[in-house]
Amino acid sequence: MASKKRKRVITDSDLTDLALLSVLNQACFNYERMQSIGFTASMGPALKKIYKNNPKVLAKVLNDNLEFINTHNTLLPYLQGLMLSLYEGGEDPETVKKIKISLFGPLAGIGDALFWFTLLPIMAGICASLSSQGNVLGPIVFFLVFFVAFLLRFPLAKIGYKTGTAALDKLQENTKRVSNAASVLGVTILGGLIATYVTLTVKTTIDIGHDATVNLQTDFFDKILPNILPFAFTFLIYFLLRKKVNTTVLIVGIIIISILFSFLGIL
Amino acid sequence: MEITLLQGIIITIVIMIIVVDRHLEALFIFRPIIVCPIVGAILGDLNTGLLAGGIVELAFAGIAGIGGASVPEALLTSVMTVVFAHITGNDVATSLALAYPFGVLMQFTWTIRNTAFTAFNAPAERYAKEGNVKGLMKLCFYGIVITMIITGILTFLSVYAAQAPLKAFVEAMPDWVINGFQVAGGLLPAVGFAMLLRVTLKGKYVPYLLAGFLFATFIQIDNVLPVAIMGVAFALMEYYRSGEKEPVTIKGGEESGI
Repeated sequence: MASKKRKRVITDSDLTDLALLSVLNQACFNYERMQSIGFTASMGPALKKIYKNNPKVLAKVLNDNLEFINTHNTLLPYLQGLMLSLYEGGEDPETVKKIKISLFGPLAGIGDALFWFTLLPIMAGICASLSSQGNVLGPIVFFLVFFVAFLLRFPLAKIGYKTGTAALDKLQENTKRVSNAASVLGVTILGGLIATYVTLTVKTTIDIGHDATVNLQTDFFDKILPNILPFAFTFLIYFLLRKKVNTTVLIVGIIIISILFSFLGIL
Repeated sequence: MEITLLQGIIITIVIMIIVVDRHLEALFIFRPIIVCPIVGAILGDLNTGLLAGGIVELAFAGIAGIGGASVPEALLTSVMTVVFAHITGNDVATSLALAYPFGVLMQFTWTIRNTAFTAFNAPAERYAKEGNVKGLMKLCFYGIVITMIITGILTFLSVYAAQAPLKAFVEAMPDWVINGFQVAGGLLPAVGFAMLLRVTLKGKYVPYLLAGFLFATFIQIDNVLPVAIMGVAFALMEYYRSGEKEPVTIKGGEESGI
């Protein structure tokens, strides 16, 4: 198999290229193997360099990587950098494959927790409230923050290459603490967002005689707690989601029920 | 107001570029908060674009197609929210609800695409066995171009070709239907928030949720930034507390639940 060559062929600029090429990860996204083709292609040039004199192993390694993979796009260069350092160090491709299989899932978990469940809602909350005031800073700030997140790919490729698996343990350990704190921030903002951006106002008034009416919203719900209905509604959706009700069904259902209640004059 | 052919073409081209980012998830310029103002600016109505960007972004904040899950596409919903507000003069909340079906349409298109793209796997294996990296790159290129083309067609048809019937359709709606869409527009952000709660909420986070909710309910705020700052304070407390020597505690399960 791979000759035990210790000579370093991967340069810093190769790692920069890798980080750039890693954007191709989802280019051929499909349900059977998800990111496999883009994942392999983006490592291709570096692998070609490592196995310049060994086309047989190159073919095997490329083919290995075409197996199913689904991981986090921004953190991907870390995994790829790590794999390249192993391939370059003459590690058995079978071992690298096993390491890859054991890592891409946890990496996806960390990435989704940090980016999709924390950074995105926080930035969405802050920037959307700016946008809602007609402030162009909304989109601009959002863009800048995610651009910085994009730039992380470059150091990540180098960290993966240089520090290997040791960094992952550290990352995972710190991620727990950071993502716990981030969840606190995210959940606090979510509370604020529910109060600010979910609107549900009941129009029903009840005639109680003597020309007096009770407005269900202002005289009843608002007296108990303003925004109680948006809060309750969000939790209704939350429980339906936990019951595995399909999102699209929920959305279409909300639209239909809104129109129905509007017809009845309740909402 | 009407959308001119030129505006239709410019929007289509811009979306064809932005969809590459949607496809690759690299720069996040495909998010509603950025797409809506761009479409608004093309239509000469940046302000509507900004307002739409705010509400659509929130409605989709928690709706992420993680792990290839199939959810309504924010991209075409964003475009059509601005388009509906522009051609019918309705507010952005109403327009969001009207635009949702287009998100579902794009979702179906992408489901078909993700299925069809399995056809790339056979040539990819062949290229791999030849050690042909250029071949693999070529497949990536095809994947991107095909995505651009189908999204471009869908965008042009939705934005330009369908505008007269869409406008007629909306104008033919009785007031209570329009009002219903407006109500729905006010409720839809709850879906995104609920999806986020589903992945982030644990029993121990409930106090923070309540604190954020009460803060925003009873204190007059222009934007959510003050809540965020309070959230940062809570987060720092949590962070430093978790750094202290761990007392003997029963490890909570990873299950979310309250």
